[in-house]
Amino acid sequence: MRKRGQGLIALAFLAPALLCLAVLRIVPAISAVVESFYAESLLRGGRVFAGLGNYTDLVSNKDFRQAVGVTLLFTVLVNPIQVVVSFLLAVLFTQRAMGSKLWRTLVILPIATPPAVSAVIWSVIYRPDGLANGVLERLGLPVQPFLTSSGQVLPSLIVLLSWIGVGYWMLFLIAGIQEVPVEVREAALLDGASAWRRMVSVILPLVRRPLAFVLVADTVSNLLVFAPVQILTKGGPNGNSNLLMYDVYTRAYAIGDIHVAQAEVVILVALTLAIVAGQFRLLRGDQ
Amino acid sequence: MKPRLQSLSLSVLGGVVGILFFLPLLWVLTNSLRPGSETFAHLTLSWRTFFELKPTLHNYSALLSSDVGRATLNSILVSAATVVIGLAVCASAAFGLAAFEYRGRGLVFGIVVLSFLVPFDAIAIPLSTMFRDWQLTNTFTGLVLPGIGNGMAIFLLRQFFLGIPAELVEAGRLDGLGWFGVFRWIYLPLSRPALIGAGLMLFLFQWQSYVWPLLIGTDAKHILGPVALSNLQGQNFADYGLVFAGAVVLTVIPLMVIAGFQRYFVQSVASSGLK
Repeated sequence: MRKRGQGLIALAFLAPALLCLAVLRIVPAISAVVESFYAESLLRGGRVFAGLGNYTDLVSNKDFRQAVGVTLLFTVLVNPIQVVVSFLLAVLFTQRAMGSKLWRTLVILPIATPPAVSAVIWSVIYRPDGLANGVLERLGLPVQPFLTSSGQVLPSLIVLLSWIGVGYWMLFLIAGIQEVPVEVREAALLDGASAWRRMVSVILPLVRRPLAFVLVADTVSNLLVFAPVQILTKGGPNGNSNLLMYDVYTRAYAIGDIHVAQAEVVILVALTLAIVAGQFRLLRGDQ
Repeated sequence: MKPRLQSLSLSVLGGVVGILFFLPLLWVLTNSLRPGSETFAHLTLSWRTFFELKPTLHNYSALLSSDVGRATLNSILVSAATVVIGLAVCASAAFGLAAFEYRGRGLVFGIVVLSFLVPFDAIAIPLSTMFRDWQLTNTFTGLVLPGIGNGMAIFLLRQFFLGIPAELVEAGRLDGLGWFGVFRWIYLPLSRPALIGAGLMLFLFQWQSYVWPLLIGTDAKHILGPVALSNLQGQNFADYGLVFAGAVVLTVIPLMVIAGFQRYFVQSVASSGLK
C-alpha cells in the first residue's frame, strides 16, 4: 500500500518531464510517421491516404538519391577523421609537456562558438579573397575555390566541422585516458623508440568505452549537420553538399511538400539508427 | 636528456596544434576591432592579419543598435528561461526517479532517458509543423519549450540524487516535511554541483541551437543571435566588421559561462561519456 502511494507521488514529480517527453518527442515522431503516409490532394481538398506513395516518390527522385549518396560519403569520411584526430590530440594533451594545459584550452575554445556562428566565420575564411587563400598564397600554393568546387566542398565542410567538434570529443577521451593509472601511462611512455606505438597499444584498449561513445555520438551529430550547409553552400555546387538534413528542410519549407519531407525525416532517422546499430555490432564483435 | 627532449617536442607539437585551432578566432577578434572596409585589406598574410595596432570599438557600438544586438538579448532571455524552467522540470523528474521505491522505476527511467536521446534536430521539422498549428511560431514559449526537457540533465541529476542518504530524508519526514519539502530543502541544496552541470547542459543546448529558432522564431521581435548573424552574413553588402563583432559576442558569452563553471562542465562531460 505504501509503495503504491510512493509511485503516485513519484509520478507527480515526473509529470512535467513526461508531458514534455510526450508532446515534444513522442508525438512529433509518431506524427512524422503517420503524415508520411498521407498526401495533400488538390482535387479532394485536404489530405488523403497515400500509402507508400511519398516514399516511392522520394526513391525515384534524383536529387534525393544524390542527397543520400552525399550523406553516406560524408559520414564515411568525417567520422573516422574526427574520432582519430580527437584520440591523437587527447593522447598528445595528456602527456607531461610544457604548456600542455594552455594548448589544450586553445583546441577546446571553438566548442563555445555556436555551430551557426562558426559557419558564418568560415564563410568569410573560405571566400575567394578570404583567410584560407591568404594562407595558401603565403605558402606559395595556388588559390583554391573551396566551397564553389564540387570536389572541395565536402572536405571544406569537414575541416570546419572538425574545428568545431574535435575539441569537444577530445574532452571525453581525455577524461577516459585520465582514468588510466598514471604509472601505466608513464611506463608506456618512457620506453624510448617505440614509445608512440606503445602509447597507442596500451592506451587504446583502455579507452574503448569513451571511444565507442564518441564514435556513436559523433556519427549521430554528423548525420544531422545543417547550419554549415544552409549558411555556406545551400547544398551546392550541383548538390554536392546537399546533406539529408538540409534536403529535408528545403523539401518542407522551400518546395513546401510537407508530407514528402516527413517521409524523408523517417528515412533519415531510420538511416541513423541503422548506422548506429551497425557500429554497436562492430564494436561488440571486436571484443 | 632524452625524456626532456621528448617533452619539448611534444610541447612544440601541442603548441602548433593549439595555435592552428586558435587562429580563426584570433582573426575574428582582430577584425571585429577594425572597420569592416578593412577586413580584406590585410589578407596578404602578415602579422597584421592577426593583430590590430589601432583597435576601435566602433563595430561593437554599432552592434548595440543592430538586429544582431537585439537578437543577442533575445538569446540571453530564451537561454535564461530555458535554464530556470528546465532545471525545475529536470530536477523534479530526477527526484521522482531517485527518491521513491516503486515498481517500474527502472522502466520509466529507461523510457525517459532513451526518448530524450533521440536527437532533437531530427524531429524539429515535424515538431515545427505542430507548433505552427498551435500558433506557437514567433513566440518565446515556442522557442523555450523544446529545450526544457533534457535527458542528459535528468540522467546527471538522478545519478547525483541517488547518492543522498535515505536517513536524511527520513529525518526530514519526521520533522514534518512533505515530499516537496524534502525535494526543496534537502535534495536541491545538497546538489549544487549537479544542478550547475545540468544547467550548463540546458544553457549550451539552447544557446547553440539553430535549426529550431530558424523554423520557429524569425520575426524581428523573436529572432535569436545565430539566426540574425547568419542573415546579416547572407546580405549582399554585409558589413563584415559588424559580422565579426557579432560572432565575438555570441562566442564570448557562452565562453564566460563555461569558464566560470569550468569544473562542473568538465565533470558533466566526463560523467556522461564514461557511464
